[in-house]
Amino acid sequence: MNPFRQYLELLSLSIRMSRSMIWFISMVNVAFAVGLVVGFGYVIPDISRTTALFLVTGTATQMIVTVALVALPTSIAEAKRDGRLEFLFTLPISREAYLLAQMTFVFLLSLPAIVFAVGLGAWKYGFALELSPWVLVAVPLATLSLAGLGVLIAVLSPHFQLTNAITQLAIFYVLFFAPVIFPREQLPAFLQHVGDFLPASHAADAIRATMTDLPGTHLLRSLLVMAAFAAGSLGLASAAARRRG
Amino acid sequence: MNALTVRDLSKRYRGGTLANDRISLSVALGEVYALLGPNGAGKTTLVRQVLGLLKPTSGAIAVHGVDVVANPGFARRNVGFLPQGQFHMEMARIGEVIHSMARLRGLPTAEAKRRAEAVIARLDLEEFRKTPHFTASGGVKRLCGLASAIVGGQKVLVLDEPTNDVDPVRRQLLWGLLAELRADGAAILLVTHNLAEAERVIDRFAIIDRGQILREGTPASMRSLVTEMLRLELTPGFGFMPHPCLMPDQPNPGAYLFELASLTTVSAWLEEASTGGRVLDFRIGPPSLDDIYTAAVATPAPPLKAAS
Repeated sequence: MNPFRQYLELLSLSIRMSRSMIWFISMVNVAFAVGLVVGFGYVIPDISRTTALFLVTGTATQMIVTVALVALPTSIAEAKRDGRLEFLFTLPISREAYLLAQMTFVFLLSLPAIVFAVGLGAWKYGFALELSPWVLVAVPLATLSLAGLGVLIAVLSPHFQLTNAITQLAIFYVLFFAPVIFPREQLPAFLQHVGDFLPASHAADAIRATMTDLPGTHLLRSLLVMAAFAAGSLGLASAAARRRG
Repeated sequence: MNALTVRDLSKRYRGGTLANDRISLSVALGEVYALLGPNGAGKTTLVRQVLGLLKPTSGAIAVHGVDVVANPGFARRNVGFLPQGQFHMEMARIGEVIHSMARLRGLPTAEAKRRAEAVIARLDLEEFRKTPHFTASGGVKRLCGLASAIVGGQKVLVLDEPTNDVDPVRRQLLWGLLAELRADGAAILLVTHNLAEAERVIDRFAIIDRGQILREGTPASMRSLVTEMLRLELTPGFGFMPHPCLMPDQPNPGAYLFELASLTTVSAWLEEASTGGRVLDFRIGPPSLDDIYTAAVATPAPPLKAAS
């Protein structure tokens, strides 16, 4: 069986393993996205078009962050804790196929929330999106670059609780201390510099560049940085998954 | 030909624990080789190395003659494995899990379906085919795991405690299936504590403790190591106190071992205790494989191999 067929079989198995929960998890993701789009609107009473665009595209990025840095590593850490991961790794399957299948699965779970958040935001704040075809590259690449980090955390972390703690911290940091939901200029200089090295910042930049006409985005640079992050983190995660103790 | 060969295998973990200490064993096609030992003896470490999940510190492992330390992918393609714990497949149905495992083992769709159906029927899992894995009983999950291990048709099988949680009727099915697999030429490395039942399919077994093989041989040759012992099973009555010659056969209540030389003393004591109602009934017989195992693990002894 070639790795692509293994990937499809593993993706199918993941879907079957979640089955009736898929609808529920997707709805929770949608509710989370709605909470961010609508809730931040209450925090900022007179929301400008620019702020609204940041908020809505940032929420789409935040959904990817949540899925890639929380749902994905948690699911892999659970598989590790339950012995399922080790069992699957005794099968003649490519470890990369397994990791990619997990990434695809959690991405599919977050897709309705991303679409819904953007649509709801555009309607609520009364702006039109400027969708570029590059969005079809930016969103999967954003997912891949962040998911690579998520997988790396899950594979390297020795304990489920540690994975949980790291991922919770990551989502909290990205929400409040990275230029995702609000402009870079609102952060202190130090955090602006840190943000330059975070894939989440570049994911947000690329998504803004492909969905809005906001100035100050750097699509090509963001795509390249995300591609580098995806290659690096997936390479490391794959090596860690192949490691024999 | 040996399907699985382990030579001078040692594994020392980073913390310094020596989990396997120069272990050697081999399993031929058409043979069931059981691995017995207390918890922490090093059985799981050995199994994980055979499967390519752990790298040995030293020594060699070959599957069908191929060095799987250097080529762990060969072990994954050629060894069917049932892990000791349950692997949780959440809401996937029992039938789907078995079919998926057949596919992931590389079988074409139609062949995977055919083999999955055959294994489901053989293990009497038909009524659980649509049961979500997480709602199935422990025994059904265990059989699902066994089905997943054998559905690919690998000739080398590593089965870790296959009877855990399985009801008596299905345990008979399971042992019968293992006997069939052996007859079909499978080489089975069986890790079990259920010696009384496993005895019917075991060709050879090894007792492992503290990372070393303490005893190895056929059930008959192993029995010959304890010909000086007898086993007593009794039902205690009111006021029962065991005779000082009797050694409790843990964890079996009412079972004791005693030396052949004490037979006259024990017989006289049994007669008196029976008359006084302190022993309601009793049976004396040869020691079981469980007794051999208990004696081997309880008695510090240098590694010894019995004649096969």
